[in-house]
Amino acid sequence: MDVLLNLTINGIATGSLIFLLAAGLTLIFGLMHVLNFAHGALFAWGAYFGVWIYTQTGSFVVGIIGAIVIGALLGWLLERWIIQPVYTNTMSQIQVTMGLLLVMNECIKVFFGPNQVSVQLPSYLDESWLIGGVILIKYRLFVIAVGILVFLALQYMLKRTRLGLIVRAGVMNKEMVQALGVNIKKVFLYVFILGCGMAALGGMLFAPYSGVIHAEIGMDYGILAFIVVVIGGMGSMVGSALAALLVGVLGAFMTFYVPSVALAVNMLLMFGVLMFRPAGLLGRG
Amino acid sequence: MMLTRRLASSRWWIGLVVLLLIGFPFVSDSRGALILMTQIFIYAVFAMSYDILLGYTGIISFGHAMFFGIGAYTTAIFLHRWDHSLLSFLVSLLAVLVLTGIVSYLIGVMTLRLKSHFYAMLTLAIAGLFLVLAEKWRDVTKGSDGFTFYIPDLLKDRTSLYFVALAFMIIMFFLLKRFTDSPTGKVLQAIRENEQRTESLGYQILHYKIIASMVAGLAAGLSGSMYAITLRFVNTAVFGTNVTLDALLMTIIGGVGTLFGSMLGSALILLVHAGLTDLAKIHWIFERWMIFFGAIYILAVMFFPQGIVGMFRQWRAKWNKG
Repeated sequence: MDVLLNLTINGIATGSLIFLLAAGLTLIFGLMHVLNFAHGALFAWGAYFGVWIYTQTGSFVVGIIGAIVIGALLGWLLERWIIQPVYTNTMSQIQVTMGLLLVMNECIKVFFGPNQVSVQLPSYLDESWLIGGVILIKYRLFVIAVGILVFLALQYMLKRTRLGLIVRAGVMNKEMVQALGVNIKKVFLYVFILGCGMAALGGMLFAPYSGVIHAEIGMDYGILAFIVVVIGGMGSMVGSALAALLVGVLGAFMTFYVPSVALAVNMLLMFGVLMFRPAGLLGRG
Repeated sequence: MMLTRRLASSRWWIGLVVLLLIGFPFVSDSRGALILMTQIFIYAVFAMSYDILLGYTGIISFGHAMFFGIGAYTTAIFLHRWDHSLLSFLVSLLAVLVLTGIVSYLIGVMTLRLKSHFYAMLTLAIAGLFLVLAEKWRDVTKGSDGFTFYIPDLLKDRTSLYFVALAFMIIMFFLLKRFTDSPTGKVLQAIRENEQRTESLGYQILHYKIIASMVAGLAAGLSGSMYAITLRFVNTAVFGTNVTLDALLMTIIGGVGTLFGSMLGSALILLVHAGLTDLAKIHWIFERWMIFFGAIYILAVMFFPQGIVGMFRQWRAKWNKG
């Protein structure tokens, strides 16, 4: 029982990290039909630069803020210079963003060296409570809390603000929104920056969670985020949240009980969803 | 003027290049150069097989390495487990054709219905599965350490391997050329240009895409076998995403939709790679050569999408007109 509970909490924590990555991906795809293969690289950059700032300043909070700023800045640059010129061409989009992932991963190796970097938690988050045989690790609860907060904030943004209204309308019918005089490209730029910021935040939170970071986490977690977005349905925020929890919890149980097939299970899950429900669990047609 | 025009449009220079390549081992006595050229020929076939997908049919796969890997492992396992005779090698080639045929058919049937985004992602995921399989199935593959094996005596000599690889490339070039010039190949190009219109003309898009994926898979499998032979060693790197990206890069730089461009791209990329590796002794930044290729690749896709051969053809068309 304790094991089950622990694994579930683990899974939910991993799920919230994946959600931070997938939320941006799903918004970007839903709005502009740009599938950004480089999204995972933002996760890795967030982790590396956030940790660097954290070790330089000694403050975890400053590290988190730094990671978000780096992510947003990168998002702005990428959208303006790389993504925008290839909006209309699906083939070039896929190829350019994949090339970007490659270059950004290599840049990390140049800046920080090709070896793993180990990360320590700040002491005030490095605690755990023992309640009736269940170990509650403070940091995991912290990660889950951040995930819930971001989810609620996004829901508020989408449902209650003018920007959210435009985004939701844009997902439904981009041309119509444009015809009504909204500069959808500008809105998309904001969404892109937001998504990149969230990805970088996810990376930064991931770093002390796993204890070590390496340059390949961008690729690994990027694929997980894709799986989540496909399962949840492109453009659906709630779907992504549910799918992220599903993938996180399933992954936690699988790595505990049958580690050799852990990765395969996620891929098979995505495979099944794509075969029988190509729009995803909560996606529209 | 007439003469130069005829020179530009004739194929005399292909014969010249082939002659030069045949003469190369007799002129150069550098073992390293010979091995490099052999690898260029083999990668050229792999890049050409990718061009069938990307350049002729207009689909992007991020999992093409799986066929390369299946080819490499099948040949390696045959030569390692059975014996290292020529017969064993030939039987392994047959096995590669059967295996890659089945795998490419199954994957094609299941995934080619999807839109390009999902197809790219799913092929990436499936190739990832193959990589995991190769790492976990240690009894057969020896995991990520890989294993060495003996190759048939006939291929042991670097010079004869060079000629076999050259012949392999030329034969594959003509076979694939024949395929792309065939009525089926024309339909594939029609799909690339306008999928909906081709469908409304009465062609079953899915069938043609599956054919393209199978042809590409078979050719990639064979190039994988040859690759294993040149290395006399195989490990899980053959399933890596980098292998697919290499083919993508070669095809884009050389020129998509022109088999010849893939060969040119293969030569260019491998020569530059070898050059940069040498430079790594001078400055460590050259060890991260992927950055250079990645940057070139992004720029090529954005500003130079027709590649070297495409540029050349444009220039020649303009010249012939004027």
